[in-house]
Amino acid sequence: MPIVFELVVLMLVAYAIGVAIGWALWGRDDVRGE
Amino acid sequence: MAFLRTPYFAVALGALLVVALAIVAGRITGPAMAQRLSAQAEEVIAEVGGEPVVARFASGSGLPSRHPLLSGGEGLGEGTRAKVAKAVAAIPGVGGIRWADGTALAESAAAPIHPLHCQNEVEALLRARTIRFEESSARIDAASTELVNEVASALRPCLGSIIAITGHTDSSGPEPGNLALSGERAEAVRQALIERGIPDDGLRVRGVGSQEPVAGLDPTGPANRRIEFSVIATEPIKPTPVDTPGPR
Repeated sequence: MPIVFELVVLMLVAYAIGVAIGWALWGRDDVRGE
Repeated sequence: MAFLRTPYFAVALGALLVVALAIVAGRITGPAMAQRLSAQAEEVIAEVGGEPVVARFASGSGLPSRHPLLSGGEGLGEGTRAKVAKAVAAIPGVGGIRWADGTALAESAAAPIHPLHCQNEVEALLRARTIRFEESSARIDAASTELVNEVASALRPCLGSIIAITGHTDSSGPEPGNLALSGERAEAVRQALIERGIPDDGLRVRGVGSQEPVAGLDPTGPANRRIEFSVIATEPIKPTPVDTPGPR
Protein backbone atom coordinates (compact mmCIF):
# COMPACT_ATOMS: atom_id res chain seq x y z
CA MET A 1 0.00 0.00 0.00
CA PRO A 2 1.32 3.45 -0.76
CA ILE A 3 2.55 5.39 2.23
CA VAL A 4 -0.14 8.07 1.72
CA PHE A 5 -2.91 5.54 2.28
CA GLU A 6 -1.19 4.17 5.35
CA LEU A 7 -0.75 7.66 6.77
CA VAL A 8 -4.40 8.53 6.16
CA VAL A 9 -5.58 5.38 7.90
CA LEU A 10 -3.17 5.80 10.80
CA MET A 11 -4.05 9.43 11.39
CA LEU A 12 -7.78 8.79 11.11
CA VAL A 13 -7.52 6.04 13.69
CA ALA A 14 -5.52 8.30 16.01
CA TYR A 15 -8.10 11.04 15.49
CA ALA A 16 -10.96 8.67 16.24
CA ILE A 17 -9.25 7.54 19.44
CA GLY A 18 -8.69 11.17 20.42
CA VAL A 19 -12.33 12.06 19.75
CA ALA A 20 -13.51 9.07 21.75
CA ILE A 21 -11.32 10.00 24.72
CA GLY A 22 -12.34 13.64 24.48
CA TRP A 23 -15.98 12.70 24.29
CA ALA A 24 -15.67 10.39 27.27
CA LEU A 25 -13.93 13.02 29.37
CA TRP A 26 -15.72 16.21 28.39
CA GLY A 27 -18.68 15.32 26.22
CA ARG A 28 -21.07 13.89 28.77
CA ASP A 29 -24.25 15.70 29.68
CA ASP A 30 -23.49 15.97 33.37
CA VAL A 31 -20.05 17.45 32.65
CA ARG A 32 -21.42 19.98 30.18
CA GLY A 33 -24.17 20.85 32.67
CA GLU A 34 -21.65 22.35 35.13
CA MET B 1 -26.48 27.82 11.05
CA ALA B 2 -26.87 26.12 14.40
CA PHE B 3 -25.75 22.83 12.93
CA LEU B 4 -22.29 24.29 12.46
CA ARG B 5 -21.89 24.40 16.23
CA THR B 6 -22.98 20.81 16.83
CA PRO B 7 -20.24 18.47 17.96
CA TYR B 8 -20.94 16.10 15.06
CA PHE B 9 -20.11 18.73 12.51
CA ALA B 10 -16.96 19.63 14.40
CA VAL B 11 -15.87 15.98 14.48
CA ALA B 12 -16.61 15.53 10.78
CA LEU B 13 -14.71 18.70 9.95
CA GLY B 14 -11.86 17.47 12.11
CA ALA B 15 -11.80 14.16 10.25
CA LEU B 16 -11.64 15.98 6.92
CA LEU B 17 -8.78 18.13 8.17
CA VAL B 18 -6.91 15.02 9.40
CA VAL B 19 -7.29 13.34 6.01
CA ALA B 20 -6.08 16.47 4.21
CA LEU B 21 -3.13 16.75 6.58
CA ALA B 22 -2.24 13.09 6.08
CA ILE B 23 -2.35 13.43 2.29
CA VAL B 24 -0.16 16.51 2.34
CA ALA B 25 2.29 14.95 4.79
CA GLY B 26 2.42 11.76 2.71
CA ARG B 27 3.03 13.68 -0.48
CA ILE B 28 5.83 15.69 1.10
CA THR B 29 7.65 12.97 3.00
CA GLY B 30 6.85 9.94 0.81
CA PRO B 31 9.44 10.30 -1.95
CA ALA B 32 12.21 11.14 0.50
CA MET B 33 11.34 8.11 2.62
CA ALA B 34 11.30 5.82 -0.41
CA GLN B 35 14.65 7.24 -1.52
CA ARG B 36 16.23 6.68 1.90
CA LEU B 37 14.88 3.12 2.15
CA SER B 38 16.09 2.39 -1.40
CA ALA B 39 19.59 3.54 -0.56
CA GLN B 40 19.67 1.48 2.62
CA ALA B 41 18.31 -1.55 0.79
CA GLU B 42 20.98 -1.21 -1.89
CA GLU B 43 23.70 -1.19 0.75
CA VAL B 44 22.27 -4.13 2.58
CA ILE B 45 21.79 -6.17 -0.60
CA ALA B 46 25.41 -5.57 -1.56
CA GLU B 47 26.49 -6.71 1.91
CA VAL B 48 24.80 -10.10 1.59
CA GLY B 49 26.05 -10.55 -1.96
CA GLY B 50 22.73 -10.36 -3.79
CA GLU B 51 24.00 -7.80 -6.30
CA PRO B 52 21.54 -8.12 -9.21
CA VAL B 53 18.54 -7.73 -6.88
CA VAL B 54 16.89 -4.31 -6.89
CA ALA B 55 14.44 -3.21 -4.21
CA ARG B 56 11.82 -0.83 -5.56
CA PHE B 57 9.94 1.03 -2.84
CA ALA B 58 6.80 1.82 -4.79
CA SER B 59 3.32 0.36 -4.97
CA GLY B 60 1.81 -1.11 -8.10
CA SER B 61 0.59 2.31 -9.12
CA GLY B 62 4.00 3.89 -8.66
CA LEU B 63 3.29 5.80 -5.44
CA PRO B 64 6.05 5.69 -2.80
CA SER B 65 5.60 2.82 -0.39
CA ARG B 66 7.47 1.19 2.46
CA HIS B 67 6.81 -2.27 0.99
CA PRO B 68 9.57 -3.11 -1.49
CA LEU B 69 9.25 -5.13 -4.64
CA LEU B 70 12.42 -7.21 -5.13
CA SER B 71 13.37 -8.05 -8.69
CA GLY B 72 16.44 -9.31 -10.48
CA GLY B 73 16.90 -12.40 -8.35
CA GLU B 74 16.21 -14.93 -11.10
CA GLY B 75 19.80 -16.09 -11.34
CA LEU B 76 20.42 -16.41 -7.62
CA GLY B 77 20.08 -19.51 -5.50
CA GLU B 78 17.31 -19.94 -2.94
CA GLY B 79 19.70 -19.41 -0.04
CA THR B 80 20.94 -16.07 -1.33
CA ARG B 81 17.41 -14.97 -2.12
CA ALA B 82 16.33 -15.82 1.41
CA LYS B 83 19.28 -13.84 2.82
CA VAL B 84 18.45 -10.84 0.66
CA ALA B 85 14.79 -10.95 1.69
CA LYS B 86 15.69 -11.19 5.39
CA ALA B 87 18.26 -8.42 5.16
CA VAL B 88 15.93 -6.00 3.40
CA ALA B 89 13.09 -6.83 5.81
CA ALA B 90 15.38 -6.09 8.75
CA ILE B 91 15.84 -2.45 7.72
CA PRO B 92 13.86 -0.34 10.21
CA GLY B 93 10.77 1.06 8.55
CA VAL B 94 10.47 -1.54 5.80
CA GLY B 95 7.17 -3.36 5.56
CA GLY B 96 6.35 -6.50 3.56
CA ILE B 97 8.79 -7.97 1.03
CA ARG B 98 7.44 -9.10 -2.32
CA TRP B 99 9.42 -10.79 -5.09
CA ALA B 100 8.66 -9.84 -8.67
CA ASP B 101 9.06 -13.49 -9.69
CA GLY B 102 7.66 -14.86 -6.48
CA THR B 103 4.74 -17.19 -5.97
CA ALA B 104 2.70 -15.02 -3.65
CA LEU B 105 2.09 -11.68 -5.28
CA ALA B 106 -1.11 -10.47 -3.70
CA GLU B 107 -1.66 -7.39 -5.79
CA SER B 108 -0.11 -8.08 -9.17
CA ALA B 109 -1.41 -9.80 -12.27
CA ALA B 110 0.47 -12.94 -11.31
CA ALA B 111 -0.18 -15.80 -13.71
CA PRO B 112 -2.96 -18.07 -12.43
CA ILE B 113 -1.96 -21.64 -11.66
CA HIS B 114 -2.59 -24.10 -14.47
CA PRO B 115 -1.29 -27.41 -13.19
CA LEU B 116 -2.06 -29.30 -16.38
CA HIS B 117 -0.31 -26.61 -18.33
CA CYS B 118 2.75 -27.27 -16.19
CA GLN B 119 2.57 -30.93 -16.96
CA ASN B 120 2.34 -30.19 -20.68
CA GLU B 121 5.38 -27.94 -20.48
CA VAL B 122 7.42 -30.54 -18.65
CA GLU B 123 6.32 -33.25 -21.07
CA ALA B 124 7.28 -31.02 -23.97
CA LEU B 125 10.73 -30.55 -22.44
CA LEU B 126 11.18 -34.25 -21.89
CA ARG B 127 9.81 -35.23 -25.29
CA ALA B 128 12.93 -34.03 -27.03
CA ARG B 129 15.47 -34.77 -24.31
CA THR B 130 15.78 -37.22 -21.47
CA ILE B 131 17.28 -36.85 -18.04
CA ARG B 132 20.29 -39.10 -18.33
CA PHE B 133 21.90 -41.03 -15.55
CA GLU B 134 25.30 -42.58 -15.26
CA GLU B 135 25.50 -46.22 -16.26
CA SER B 136 23.46 -48.41 -13.86
CA SER B 137 23.48 -45.70 -11.23
CA ALA B 138 21.11 -43.12 -9.82
CA ARG B 139 23.48 -40.21 -10.31
CA ILE B 140 22.18 -37.65 -12.75
CA ASP B 141 24.55 -37.17 -15.63
CA ALA B 142 26.28 -33.78 -15.59
CA ALA B 143 25.01 -33.09 -19.09
CA SER B 144 21.42 -33.26 -17.83
CA THR B 145 21.69 -30.57 -15.15
CA GLU B 146 20.55 -27.91 -17.61
CA LEU B 147 17.47 -29.99 -18.42
CA VAL B 148 16.75 -30.44 -14.71
CA ASN B 149 16.98 -26.64 -14.29
CA GLU B 150 14.46 -26.19 -17.06
CA VAL B 151 12.14 -28.80 -15.56
CA ALA B 152 12.35 -27.01 -12.20
CA SER B 153 11.43 -23.71 -13.85
CA ALA B 154 8.55 -25.36 -15.68
CA LEU B 155 7.27 -26.88 -12.43
CA ARG B 156 7.58 -23.71 -10.40
CA PRO B 157 4.18 -22.27 -11.43
CA CYS B 158 2.64 -25.49 -10.11
CA LEU B 159 3.79 -24.96 -6.55
CA GLY B 160 0.91 -26.08 -4.41
CA SER B 161 0.15 -29.09 -6.58
CA ILE B 162 1.41 -32.56 -5.85
CA ILE B 163 3.83 -33.72 -8.51
CA ALA B 164 4.56 -37.40 -9.03
CA ILE B 165 8.00 -38.39 -10.29
CA THR B 166 8.01 -41.86 -11.78
CA GLY B 167 11.15 -43.70 -12.76
CA HIS B 168 11.01 -46.22 -15.58
CA THR B 169 13.58 -48.64 -16.95
CA ASP B 170 13.71 -50.89 -19.96
CA SER B 171 13.13 -54.59 -19.47
CA SER B 172 16.72 -55.75 -19.78
CA GLY B 173 18.10 -57.14 -16.57
CA PRO B 174 16.35 -58.59 -13.48
CA GLU B 175 13.10 -56.90 -12.53
CA PRO B 176 13.85 -56.36 -8.79
CA GLY B 177 17.01 -54.52 -9.83
CA ASN B 178 15.03 -52.45 -12.31
CA LEU B 179 12.46 -51.57 -9.67
CA ALA B 180 15.12 -50.48 -7.22
CA LEU B 181 17.06 -48.52 -9.83
CA SER B 182 14.01 -46.73 -11.19
CA GLY B 183 13.02 -45.76 -7.64
CA GLU B 184 16.50 -44.47 -6.86
CA ARG B 185 16.62 -42.47 -10.07
CA ALA B 186 13.24 -40.89 -9.36
CA GLU B 187 14.53 -40.04 -5.89
CA ALA B 188 17.65 -38.48 -7.38
CA VAL B 189 15.52 -36.29 -9.62
CA ARG B 190 13.40 -35.34 -6.62
CA GLN B 191 16.51 -34.29 -4.68
CA ALA B 192 17.72 -32.28 -7.64
CA LEU B 193 14.39 -30.46 -7.85
CA ILE B 194 14.40 -29.76 -4.10
CA GLU B 195 17.86 -28.24 -4.51
CA ARG B 196 16.36 -25.96 -7.13
CA GLY B 197 13.66 -24.71 -4.83
CA ILE B 198 10.68 -26.96 -5.45
CA PRO B 199 9.23 -27.71 -1.99
CA ASP B 200 9.72 -31.33 -1.01
CA ASP B 201 6.23 -31.87 0.36
CA GLY B 202 4.78 -31.56 -3.12
CA LEU B 203 7.00 -34.19 -4.71
CA ARG B 204 6.20 -37.90 -4.60
CA VAL B 205 8.47 -40.53 -6.10
CA ARG B 206 7.89 -44.03 -7.28
CA GLY B 207 9.82 -46.51 -9.36
CA VAL B 208 7.96 -48.94 -11.59
CA GLY B 209 10.89 -50.72 -13.18
CA SER B 210 9.88 -51.89 -16.62
CA GLN B 211 6.19 -52.41 -15.76
CA GLU B 212 5.00 -49.43 -17.76
CA PRO B 213 6.81 -49.27 -21.07
CA VAL B 214 6.06 -46.46 -23.47
CA ALA B 215 2.87 -47.32 -25.35
CA GLY B 216 3.64 -48.85 -28.73
CA LEU B 217 7.32 -49.43 -28.05
CA ASP B 218 9.28 -52.60 -27.52
CA PRO B 219 9.75 -53.04 -23.75
CA THR B 220 13.45 -53.66 -24.24
CA GLY B 221 13.88 -50.41 -26.13
CA PRO B 222 16.20 -47.84 -24.52
CA ALA B 223 13.53 -45.16 -24.86
CA ASN B 224 11.80 -46.81 -21.91
CA ARG B 225 14.57 -45.61 -19.63
CA ARG B 226 12.89 -42.36 -18.61
CA ILE B 227 11.54 -40.16 -15.86
CA GLU B 228 7.94 -39.07 -16.07
CA PHE B 229 6.27 -36.22 -14.25
CA SER B 230 2.57 -35.92 -13.57
CA VAL B 231 0.52 -33.46 -11.58
CA ILE B 232 -1.76 -35.33 -9.19
CA ALA B 233 -3.62 -32.77 -7.16
CA THR B 234 -3.93 -29.10 -6.63
CA GLU B 235 -3.62 -27.63 -3.19
CA PRO B 236 -4.29 -23.99 -2.49
CA ILE B 237 -1.14 -21.92 -2.23
CA LYS B 238 -0.24 -20.58 1.17
CA PRO B 239 1.46 -17.27 0.49
CA THR B 240 4.71 -16.36 2.16
CA PRO B 241 3.67 -14.54 5.31
CA VAL B 242 4.67 -10.92 5.25
CA ASP B 243 6.56 -11.12 8.50
CA THR B 244 8.76 -14.07 7.58
CA PRO B 245 10.52 -12.89 4.42
CA GLY B 246 11.58 -15.78 2.26
CA PRO B 247 13.18 -16.52 -1.07
CA ARG B 248 9.86 -16.31 -2.90
